[in-house]
Amino acid sequence: MKTMKWFGLVLTAMLLALALCLPAGAAAPIKIAVLGPMSFTQGEGHWNGATMAAEEINKAGGIKVGNQMRPIELIKVDTNEFLSIPDATNAVELAVSRHKADFLVGGFRTEAVLVMQDIAMDAKKVFIGCGAAHPALCTKVTKDYDRYKYWFRLTPINSKYLGKVDFILLGTVAHIMKKTLGIKKIKVAVVAEKAAWADPIVNISKKLLPAKMGMEVVGVWRPSPVAKDCTAELAAIQRAGAHIVFTTFSSSVGLTFAKQMGELKVPAAAVGINVESQKSGFWPATGGKGAYTETINTYARVEITPKTIPFYDKYVKLYKEAPNYTAGTYDALYIIKNAVERVGTIDSDKVVASLEKTDYVDTAGRVVFDKSHDVTWGPGYVTAIGTQWQDGKIMCVWPYHWQKVFYKGTVPYKLAPWVVDYWKNKK
Amino acid sequence: MGLVSAYLRRGWTILRSEVLVLPSRLAVLLFILALAAVPLFTQDYYILRVLILTSIFAIFAASWDLLSGFTGQMNFGHALFFGVASYVTALLNLDLGFPPYLSIPLGAVGGVLAGLVVGIPCLRLRGSYLALTTLAFPIILTGLVFAMPDITGGELGLSGLSRLTGSRVGDYYLTAGLVVVLGFVMWKITDSKTGIILHAIREDEVAVRSSGINTTRYKLLAFCLSGFFAGIAGGLYAHFMRLAGPSTLEVSLSFQVIIWSVFGGMVTIYGPIAGVFILNPLMEVLRLVLNNFPSLPEIRMFIFAALVLVTLLFMPEGLIPWVRDKLESECPRCKLRNIFFRRRCRVCDTSLA
Repeated sequence: MKTMKWFGLVLTAMLLALALCLPAGAAAPIKIAVLGPMSFTQGEGHWNGATMAAEEINKAGGIKVGNQMRPIELIKVDTNEFLSIPDATNAVELAVSRHKADFLVGGFRTEAVLVMQDIAMDAKKVFIGCGAAHPALCTKVTKDYDRYKYWFRLTPINSKYLGKVDFILLGTVAHIMKKTLGIKKIKVAVVAEKAAWADPIVNISKKLLPAKMGMEVVGVWRPSPVAKDCTAELAAIQRAGAHIVFTTFSSSVGLTFAKQMGELKVPAAAVGINVESQKSGFWPATGGKGAYTETINTYARVEITPKTIPFYDKYVKLYKEAPNYTAGTYDALYIIKNAVERVGTIDSDKVVASLEKTDYVDTAGRVVFDKSHDVTWGPGYVTAIGTQWQDGKIMCVWPYHWQKVFYKGTVPYKLAPWVVDYWKNKK
Repeated sequence: MGLVSAYLRRGWTILRSEVLVLPSRLAVLLFILALAAVPLFTQDYYILRVLILTSIFAIFAASWDLLSGFTGQMNFGHALFFGVASYVTALLNLDLGFPPYLSIPLGAVGGVLAGLVVGIPCLRLRGSYLALTTLAFPIILTGLVFAMPDITGGELGLSGLSRLTGSRVGDYYLTAGLVVVLGFVMWKITDSKTGIILHAIREDEVAVRSSGINTTRYKLLAFCLSGFFAGIAGGLYAHFMRLAGPSTLEVSLSFQVIIWSVFGGMVTIYGPIAGVFILNPLMEVLRLVLNNFPSLPEIRMFIFAALVLVTLLFMPEGLIPWVRDKLESECPRCKLRNIFFRRRCRVCDTSLA
């Protein structure tokens, strides 16, 4: 009998200890699937941005859903979308149907995102795109709202606006050259990698530059996206007497071109899109020869909003590189958090209604979704920025008092000294 | 009632004397039963998606075997048929509103035409020249796709196609059923007189020609037939993914189909089907196993490549013929196959020792 009493006592104590060890009423996590090609820099950006946000939110107690604080659990979904579209769709289906993801963020290759979008819509899961720029992803929302309302696109600005910023940057540099070097008619060399996405920019350039911007197009060059030598193009550009090289590069040719342009000291300013020059590794990879290259960008260490510099610094500290635009998953998580907290539920339909009312200042600007669930572009909203490599640092040079927009930390655009010398001596 | 029982008795006789006597045929029967039973055990969307894609790629791989395995016309650009059919299917569905049961067969006709377009200039080519020429065609078509974005959708492709059947289980039964039916049709073609001529063209085309057979016609027929079956796979893919894009023409897809077929065993039809049914789900199993492993695609690809290499090192004719030869032996007299433990042939009673 005595033994039984002791046994009961020990058992009670054990159960009590166990109960104390368990967190009282532990809330189920909110699962957010981060979709991206994780073996590539774009996917790393997706994951790093989301991880940073999830850690911050969880540290602050999680997301308040009704009366409950629920932590975020991230699901890493390697879509491998550059190499295999079926692989990407399988991965997303796994995240939705097996891991029961509540929200999806990320995606990069538009062709793959179109299929991922369908999987998310079938499952009625909110999907915030942070990577694909094509407007077609959002026009689906206006065409078939009931099905595609769960789709929102956060970053980058869509390709229509990317084009707009592209020409604004070109016009700004042309204005500076005219003013400082006294050039009357700016000659432009259009250089775009041989890829389908670059074709519209080339076609528009040929029409728009002479007709609307008063510039002369001296030629169009289309190097391979993986070209390792661009000296022939650069020599031809120099012979053509171009003042500006209007670049459209998304792949490694951007690195080669910028490096050789610096090595040959081609007397022209490189402006446009050069995705390679958005990366921290651009400076060492070009051995500093890529100095003065200007590109459209999403982030730089500049006060686009009060959140930009803290985010930028923390990202660099954690991941030893500057954030690229796919790291916009950071903002996507906060936007989801705010939307959920406003309605007190993770029910997709209610969250969609809440997301449509988003007016949130994130690290890239003020986010307000339009009718197609795309980010509103323009002064006072998200604009994207123009960055230039100056003395080994990536500096924001645009907007520079454009439409009354000026971000603290923005510096004036600089012409390369050899460009200034060449055209001044030529006069 | 009597008629039904007569058919049942006949079915049982065929089953007992033709199927159950050979492990390879029994394996096919079990495979079909397993395919039919999957939705009874699980209707998990992920599992069914993997199996649907596997079925589509199995038809695609078998169609490559029909051309390259049987006729020896080494096609390194088989994605052309797949891609052409998926684009034709998509255009018919999106622009003319054709439902899948019309757009897929008509898309396959597009595959047949692509077969003719490739077949005619390639008739005089052999070996590596033929392989490299066929490789060029999908690359050329990719260029055209990008050059005509108004028709092809350019980089985005054509999206928003109708669903195959409207339900995942329906899609599964349709694709799985088609693997079985089309696999059987392809196998019967190769087992027919035409198939024997295709075999002979591979072995010695000059000898076949000297015996009065128009090899040009048969080679073109092989291109067209292969294009048709690959086209069915392309149409199914387009409707299931609801997208026909440049990825359907990628070189990697053309190489993948060769790897699947060589791994499973060429010149069999069922070998490539089995190859896809082993390798494709295996890649997904690796995804689950290596979920938290960094560089998942690279590791998966490494394991995939190592497995294929090791298999081919020890089984040069592919996995399925190797397994079949372990379980069955061929009668030296009547050439019929028997289970490995039989001492005498089940038909002609010749000693198998």
